[in-house]
Amino acid sequence: MRWSRIAPQLALTPALAITAVAFVGSIGWTIYLSFTRSRRLPEYGIDWSEWGRQYDRLFRDAGWEISLRNLIVLGLGSALAIVFGFILAAMIDKEKRGESFFRTVFLYPLAVSLIVTGAAWRWILNPTLGAQSFLRGLGWEVDFNWLAQGDTAMYAIILASVWQSAGFYMALMLAGLKGINTEIWSAAKLDGVPLWRVYLEIIIPMMKFTFITCAILLSLGVIKAYDVVVAMTNGGPGQSTWVPAYFTINALSAKSNLGYASAAAVMMLVITLVVFIPLVALTVWQQRKREAAR
Amino acid sequence: MSQVSVSERAAAAGEVPVTRAPYFVRKKKGITPRSIAVLVFLTICALFFCVPLYVVVVTSFKTMDQIREGAIFTLPHIWTLEAWDHAWNHACSGIKCDGLKVGFWNSVSILFPSLILSISLAMVTGFALALWNVRWAGGFLFLLFICAFVPFQIIMYPLIVMTTTTKIYGTLWAVAVIHAVLAMPVLTLIFRNYYKDIPTEIMSAAMMDSGSFWRIFFEIIVPMSGNILIVVLILQITSIWNDYLIGVTFGGLTGQPMTVNLANLITISTGTTNYAHNMAAALLTAIPPLVVYFLVGKLFVQGVTAGAIKG
Amino acid sequence: MPAVSFEHIVKRYGAVTVLDDLNLAIEDGDFLVLLGPSGCGKTTLLNLLAGLLEVSDGRITIGDRDVTELDPKDRGLAMVFQSYALYPTKTVRGNLKFGLAASKLPSEEVERRIAWVAKMLQIEPLLDRKPAQLSGGQRQRVAIGRAIIKKVDVFLFDEPLSNLDAKLRTEMRLEIKKLHDELKSTVVYVTHDQIEAMTMATKIAVMDGGVIQQFGTPDEVYEHPANLFVAGFIGAPAMNMRSATLAVKAGKVEAVFKSGARLDVSDYPFQAPARDGLAVVIGMRPEHFTIGEAASGGTAQFTLPVLSAERTGSDATLYLTFEDEMLALRVAPDLAAGLRVGSTVPVQFQAGKANLFDAQTGRRI
Repeated sequence: MRWSRIAPQLALTPALAITAVAFVGSIGWTIYLSFTRSRRLPEYGIDWSEWGRQYDRLFRDAGWEISLRNLIVLGLGSALAIVFGFILAAMIDKEKRGESFFRTVFLYPLAVSLIVTGAAWRWILNPTLGAQSFLRGLGWEVDFNWLAQGDTAMYAIILASVWQSAGFYMALMLAGLKGINTEIWSAAKLDGVPLWRVYLEIIIPMMKFTFITCAILLSLGVIKAYDVVVAMTNGGPGQSTWVPAYFTINALSAKSNLGYASAAAVMMLVITLVVFIPLVALTVWQQRKREAAR
Repeated sequence: MSQVSVSERAAAAGEVPVTRAPYFVRKKKGITPRSIAVLVFLTICALFFCVPLYVVVVTSFKTMDQIREGAIFTLPHIWTLEAWDHAWNHACSGIKCDGLKVGFWNSVSILFPSLILSISLAMVTGFALALWNVRWAGGFLFLLFICAFVPFQIIMYPLIVMTTTTKIYGTLWAVAVIHAVLAMPVLTLIFRNYYKDIPTEIMSAAMMDSGSFWRIFFEIIVPMSGNILIVVLILQITSIWNDYLIGVTFGGLTGQPMTVNLANLITISTGTTNYAHNMAAALLTAIPPLVVYFLVGKLFVQGVTAGAIKG
Repeated sequence: MPAVSFEHIVKRYGAVTVLDDLNLAIEDGDFLVLLGPSGCGKTTLLNLLAGLLEVSDGRITIGDRDVTELDPKDRGLAMVFQSYALYPTKTVRGNLKFGLAASKLPSEEVERRIAWVAKMLQIEPLLDRKPAQLSGGQRQRVAIGRAIIKKVDVFLFDEPLSNLDAKLRTEMRLEIKKLHDELKSTVVYVTHDQIEAMTMATKIAVMDGGVIQQFGTPDEVYEHPANLFVAGFIGAPAMNMRSATLAVKAGKVEAVFKSGARLDVSDYPFQAPARDGLAVVIGMRPEHFTIGEAASGGTAQFTLPVLSAERTGSDATLYLTFEDEMLALRVAPDLAAGLRVGSTVPVQFQAGKANLFDAQTGRRI
């Protein structure tokens, strides 16, 4: 065997080991545990008559149901960040003036931890000392006390998430917009097409790839959402802002129910795959179409 | 005949240049109403984005008395550093009340080993996968791609067991190592894609000249990696500094990064909440990555985008 | 003992076989040019020799060593690449030094060699510059220097001149040839440019479709091409090809063109006795025609209409119509100036210069 064949494979062993142990092995381990009755410590015997026990419990758990519902709410709400990001990007791309300044301002939230973001917005949403009392002082009878009520608490979390991520999607959209041939704009101008139609019928379809990428990143971010929930509501009021990530970690740390937490984690993986695979397949298909068209 | 105009030549000769009156007077373009509308909208949005930062800064300098007045957007009557001092030196996180400076130095101590471990491993792995003939490289890359997207929760417990068995659980080392492990797939993909762009003939020449994996890596590849290294550094520094979940899971009581200190501070309210302290603490946690951001803005975007699109 | 030999080389990429049972022996001191169009397999063969690609089957020997399983650095070769492949972060000196990375020479010897190469290629003032600060020709020299510094017996060149402008190309051609003479090494040189091949090679291997069409000296390849491909590939303007049939009668062999014109080829060195009625292709090089009436027998005489004339200052090509196709002739420029399109010209062709090929197999008869 040539040394030039052996050397790279040796160099790959640490990465392989980590992947095998920390990722593949761990995933397998957790999946296995989800079929056991492990509580604080793992038990490795599976009672085959009741192997889906943890999942049964999970699907009947009100907390899990709330988590899933909140996942969808958070997903839809955060999708606003993509819309918002696109509008900002379109404006900056068209206007050109002050591009550098606006980009800097819209992107700085990315540099900040979600804990900080949560803390800041929690403060602003303070009913007696925050924005609500300020606006009421001005005479506007608004109800900004979202965090205190179960049905509005998620809106606060969505607000903080959109604030954090809109700039990022704007950056991705800007890159996508810059990839559009300037001649398209010239042609549309000559044809006298109104601007909103140009965007809707020409530009956005051309940016399918960028939009799909944003959708993938958004979904992954939403599924992972944990820090911002901790900082803003810690799951409250009650369980109204529970999300799957929060549920899983709670099952492990607070409830010390390893089997249960493992089942929840497996469901999180399933959700990730269900969202991820079609979107990635779509991306690959889009890319193949693009390449064929060249 | 040179391209110099008559007026330029006249000017050069020392004569006063004669500006001719225009044949047709043209209306100047100027700012269109649409531009103004766009700029106004963008400015309003910019304000929306700045509001939280403004509020946090302003609150951190106020006295608790002024805060109780409830006017969240007003500037401090008296600018005081009391909140800052308290947050840095006396804030309570768990049982200890030594301030956020503990978390700050913890975060710094987590950052360095984690960066070194994750980046060096990713560079070597990316290099091997990109430029060497390894039969199973394709499959491994696909596996890495999947690993980059799995949620942390599905590997959380086993990782806890592993760190406990190796006796690093609850220390800074656990946090640093876990960060390195979790970052490995993404960073490897980023480096691999970057190295794939190196011209094939350079690698061919290197194989004829030296043929040694490590020599080529250190003498040829690493020097060529400057651009991507900066981008990756920014991505990792931001991601590690701002992380909460790994820190709280693996840091125990002695290895808490700054974000965990901050979270403890604002969520555990014993007695009345001192919002000035909370905001000062939040600012202290946010300042290091913000500094990086304002210093290297453009590269920052590249870093985050690269991490997101996995190269 | 041949300096380099390829024995029964097979190279497959999945289901596609690029080289099949290729055999080639290169003598010590030869300047072998692998010549052919893109995709003919010449670069693949070079990379197999270098060790950058692995053979699917067969054996490669350098000197008396079987190198088929050896890494590139162990084969005792040096290579110059088309894009020079200089290490961008290293200075010229660093690039030259890295050329010796696989050898375990003491540092004084390394320094000595750097000085020797720099002097020979006149790149001394460039030693501390980086590749980005060099011109194309200078980069080329450094690439050559990086190869020479190894002091090996066999040098490989992969189309090194294709990125240079015409003037530099001519200069570098001479320099490479000079280096070959000075260093007395064996060179394997890949190119698609037949002028490079004709001027630099001691041996040419013309390749097409993964097969060596002909292996011989430049003269052999030019004067006696082995098949239609070689005949058409070498020579500019290209050889004129016409279909004809052989008429053998009473010891006299004539090639009968479609138009009925006849050419006496009785003195042609047939490899096998000529068969009557055999369909052939006659190849006639543009420079073997003369304008004017026939002086003696043994030439074919035609009177053909002028299609156009191209003058390039020092040369001229005259295009005539013969049998509804273009016939290219090499003429003196002032002669071409006097001819008008549509006018007819008497033209002779020396029968002794004809090339005959079997119309079916394409091979020389």
